[in-house]
Amino acid sequence: MVIPEAMLPPARIERVKGNFGEEVLLRNDAMFTAYRHSAGELSAFFFALADEGRIIANVCPSCGVVNCPPYQQRCPECNFTDMEQIEIKDVGVMAATPVITIFPPARFKGDAPFGTGYVFIECGDSKTADTALPLRVRTTQGMLRRGIFKRDTPIKIVFKDERQGEITDIFAVSQAELTREQIAKSPLLESDLEWNMPKEPEFEETEESKMAFSKILFRFQALALKVSKSKAAQKDLANWTRRVEVKSGGFFFLLNINDGKMSAGYEEPDRETDLILALEDPNDFLPYLERGAALTNLILSGKLWVSSSELETITRLDRLPRSLRKDGV
Amino acid sequence: MREVAVIGSGMTHCKSRWLSKTYLELAQLATKNAIEDAGIDVSDLDGGVAGIYNDIFEFMAIPESPLQGIVGLANKGFSRVTSGGATGIYTMYNAYNWVASGMHDVVLVLGVEKALDCYDFEAESPTPAVVQTIAYSWDPWFERQIGNHASSSYAQVIAAYRDEHDGDLTEEASAKVVELLCQQAQNNPYAQRLGEAVSAEQVLDSRYVIDQIRILETCVYTEGACALIFASKKGLARLAGKMKQEPIWITGAACANEPYFVGKDPKRHKVLHRIQSDEIVAREALKQARLTVDDIQVMELHDAFVPQLMITLAEMGVVPLGRANDLVNEGIIMPGGKLLLNPCGGLVFSGHFVGGSNMMSTWSIMREMKDRDLEHGLVHGTGASLSMFGGAMIFERRR
Repeated sequence: MVIPEAMLPPARIERVKGNFGEEVLLRNDAMFTAYRHSAGELSAFFFALADEGRIIANVCPSCGVVNCPPYQQRCPECNFTDMEQIEIKDVGVMAATPVITIFPPARFKGDAPFGTGYVFIECGDSKTADTALPLRVRTTQGMLRRGIFKRDTPIKIVFKDERQGEITDIFAVSQAELTREQIAKSPLLESDLEWNMPKEPEFEETEESKMAFSKILFRFQALALKVSKSKAAQKDLANWTRRVEVKSGGFFFLLNINDGKMSAGYEEPDRETDLILALEDPNDFLPYLERGAALTNLILSGKLWVSSSELETITRLDRLPRSLRKDGV
Repeated sequence: MREVAVIGSGMTHCKSRWLSKTYLELAQLATKNAIEDAGIDVSDLDGGVAGIYNDIFEFMAIPESPLQGIVGLANKGFSRVTSGGATGIYTMYNAYNWVASGMHDVVLVLGVEKALDCYDFEAESPTPAVVQTIAYSWDPWFERQIGNHASSSYAQVIAAYRDEHDGDLTEEASAKVVELLCQQAQNNPYAQRLGEAVSAEQVLDSRYVIDQIRILETCVYTEGACALIFASKKGLARLAGKMKQEPIWITGAACANEPYFVGKDPKRHKVLHRIQSDEIVAREALKQARLTVDDIQVMELHDAFVPQLMITLAEMGVVPLGRANDLVNEGIIMPGGKLLLNPCGGLVFSGHFVGGSNMMSTWSIMREMKDRDLEHGLVHGTGASLSMFGGAMIFERRR
């Protein structure tokens, strides 16, 4: 379904408190318009992606400008000269450092974190298109983080195995993650790549890290106690259940989140955990525990390793400090 | 072209959610306040221009239609403007032209927006639905399909600027600007975040909503309204004896939009590391006013995101491109510096009710120019994908 069932509003009218304590009426509703949306003259571009694994562009025979995506059929700079369709390559460079979305629009909630950027695709010897194709950027090495892509990073366009004719049929991967053969293959398919989660990092066990880790566990336990006293913090963790293994230097503890409640302890895992958080220096948790610095930022910086690309648990943990402040806990 | 003055302004309180008021009530309240501030009667209005960014936020197509009679303009000219985040400045630009062209002498300039009636029933929060609604402003074939939205779009410009100017636009400098805006908002009785205290350290600790932008560097979603009254000299003569406010004159007005698609040639494409529209509109508006940027004592700039605000200041020539850190490090915009920036707290702390935010900036700049006895001010708006829509107006106080 285009609209997930969970996003559909149940029919309901209720009376709630307004800004001045008075009663106001609140009615669930939707601005509902379905579409059978035409790609019109852009269809040729999407057909080439879906059916042939090729990328096409438009070139102006007068000034030579190459547009990819081929968003216009005539060149306004040349008094609307008709542009011509050409095939271009499936390699290129990033126009700028792409960005990683942490907090997405409703429609893309399950995708975060995801990267989007603009790619100048090669269209001849040492020449790239004059316009940039907006694309998702992905890594074969787990969660997308800073440093994988920068301006001018050479990229390869990868085609999904199942394609329907939309821009998400393709995405960009850094050539640094590919073999020479993969870069030369055209079209390179998603199934041609190894989508490995990176190996869990191993950190040296020291007396210092043991001490620091114990301190961190104690502070997470204190945080859990505070959550039990804050309605706002409990709301942050409502309808969410996760067993999170927190690891560093050979030590671990379990962080249990269970529908508004939280606990932390040395409990042996009796079943598989949902998420592993690993970091070299346990003290890196201190800014979060002491003053509410965001855990998300630790992940983006690469200091905190996460075993899956699910960010929801981290996002919920990041809300806790503000909620605790709000409730004066 | 005739000279145009602003003779009154009216605000509603900015709130994250106005459960007690519809956009109809907010619009009428702001209009009433502006009329009272000007000292005129609603019958003195010859027509009006309304800025309403998004039909989806108002839960109604042609949302301006019920406003016609409500704001006292029955059977008079009343046009709606929508230009993304720059809706406010474009509404003012249109109203300015209504008066400057000689068509009308006294014109209502109204900006109003709801936003938080949108709701994501899955997340049990309005915010993802608001972000999604704004994301409908991106094209449905390319940008929207890959998940681009307002924050990613501005973050892309910021990332590209940082690529181009290595070491400039540091997170520390941006955090200090946030702290400054927070302090200044405490002087704005209508500010959404009145009473908040945010330090630079808190900004640096706050989470990224997207790489490049932290949550405390972003503007807030707001519901509210602001109205202004524009008048010609002929209009002022007609209203003589009634007016309560000293007129503030608009001596420069410019708008410019960059192309939508990204590319290499700034003359025909959007170039990622620039907000060229800001440079163009500031240059053109200042030229009309026969001023340079150094003559401007107070600016109310559109700060959708604080790093973008710093780029905008560089584009306008307050500092050279690549030297945005100087705004903070050299104290240019800091307390006691040569430029008073966003004294209302900006859109980050006062609120961003999109259709009327730039009118709020004008309300603020008029207040500051009178209270601080300043001669020249500049109001700016930006918006749309990759910050490509831009507008600026120069204001002059004649003593």
